[in-house]
Amino acid sequence: MGGYNIPVGDPLSKRAVDLIFSATFMLTDLRMILRETAPAHELDERQRTEAARLLENLERQVGSLKQEMLK
Amino acid sequence: MKCGNGIEARQVNELFINIDPIQAGGRLTGDAIKAVIAYGDGYSVCDNCRKPNRLDCIAKPPIAEFHKDVAAWLNMDTARVMPGARRGFQAVAHTYVNKGDPVLLTSLSHYTEFLAVEGAQGVACEIPADNRHIVTPEATAVKIEEIRKKYGKDPVLALIDHVDYQFGNLHDVDGIAKVAHQYDIPVLCNGAYTVGTMPVDGKALGVDFVVGSGHKSMASPAPSGVLATTAERETEIFRTTAIEGDVTGRKFGIKEPELMGCTLMGATLVGMMASFPHVKERVKHFDRELQNNRIVLEALLSIEGTKILSEYPRKHTLTRVDTTGSFDRVAETHKKKGFYFSSALTDKGIFGLIPGATRIWKFNTYGMTEKQARYLAESFVAVARENGLTVAP
Repeated sequence: MGGYNIPVGDPLSKRAVDLIFSATFMLTDLRMILRETAPAHELDERQRTEAARLLENLERQVGSLKQEMLK
Repeated sequence: MKCGNGIEARQVNELFINIDPIQAGGRLTGDAIKAVIAYGDGYSVCDNCRKPNRLDCIAKPPIAEFHKDVAAWLNMDTARVMPGARRGFQAVAHTYVNKGDPVLLTSLSHYTEFLAVEGAQGVACEIPADNRHIVTPEATAVKIEEIRKKYGKDPVLALIDHVDYQFGNLHDVDGIAKVAHQYDIPVLCNGAYTVGTMPVDGKALGVDFVVGSGHKSMASPAPSGVLATTAERETEIFRTTAIEGDVTGRKFGIKEPELMGCTLMGATLVGMMASFPHVKERVKHFDRELQNNRIVLEALLSIEGTKILSEYPRKHTLTRVDTTGSFDRVAETHKKKGFYFSSALTDKGIFGLIPGATRIWKFNTYGMTEKQARYLAESFVAVARENGLTVAP
């Protein structure tokens, strides 16, 4: 656990881990949108809506992660 | 951007349309990428390995269930995951081929099929493809009779490509298997380009083994693959160990020697499992893939002097073309010589053509969207026009 000051077994540390995975998976979903729109990355309406939803959730997850890991 | 010391983060599939003939069907799904992130550590699938301590028996993650699902999906009786299709060829050849035994391959077989036969000290006997680059049951029968005369015995195994890597042509595996079985020759169907891209039914093909490639056609990390077989052959190929240490008396449970025990023990397997629901779904829509392929081929054929060397109309998306009469003519006088072609495509965001190739080359449209297929088609035409080639309206 190094310098994170999160004791092993603390349920809050599990939350931080979950947030990291969840955020990484959202980034993966964004990555897939880039793949299916390569090379110009011109997003259609559906892709734009999905990207906006993912980015909004991602911001929320990163905010929570900040609280968990830097408290 | 680096992802390790001296390792550039690979962004090919994010920045380009990838037409590399061997890469198209192996690009990961989003779920596979997530699984690789979560299971990247070495023995990551072994956390809950309990007796009888074998990969295909692990319940969590659901590896045992995955094995059953793969066998059912291929309409075979049992399946194992392998480190690539080539290890499937190797396991089968090692089981059935002895020194000097003739083995049926084809004139379009992949080199790893030859190496599998070589490793078992067999003799490679190629069924010649006809002038359409198709391997037929008739040619198979002729070859078997030739082998009988030459070696005084029948081939002990036939390794037949469902779709070959050279032309992407679909071969009559069903008909070939019927001929081979008349001589009691077990048949392995090499589905490296079909298992995971289009429907494959092992029983309908009448084969003893179906081999698939995870990294070539099942949206999986390398090296991964499957080897599926019938109930009749199961106990031969997946026989369990009988060896015993003479000092310790140790035995090794139900490990399978042809698999060297457990095969894919981490991210490769879980990546494959994560892609599997998507793969099962995508094979049902192979017609869309052929439609996209047609869009690109019609554009290429509109460029004067271009020929399709694969069977046409296409039955698979891997396609071999001859542009000696079109793009290669430009190379003769272009300051970049043959490199102008791949360079122009790269500038348009297209990856996968061998740099310098302007005569005979292959590409694969599998997995692209219709929009990407249209863009690729337009790009070929644009490069032709930019270089003064004649394009039909």
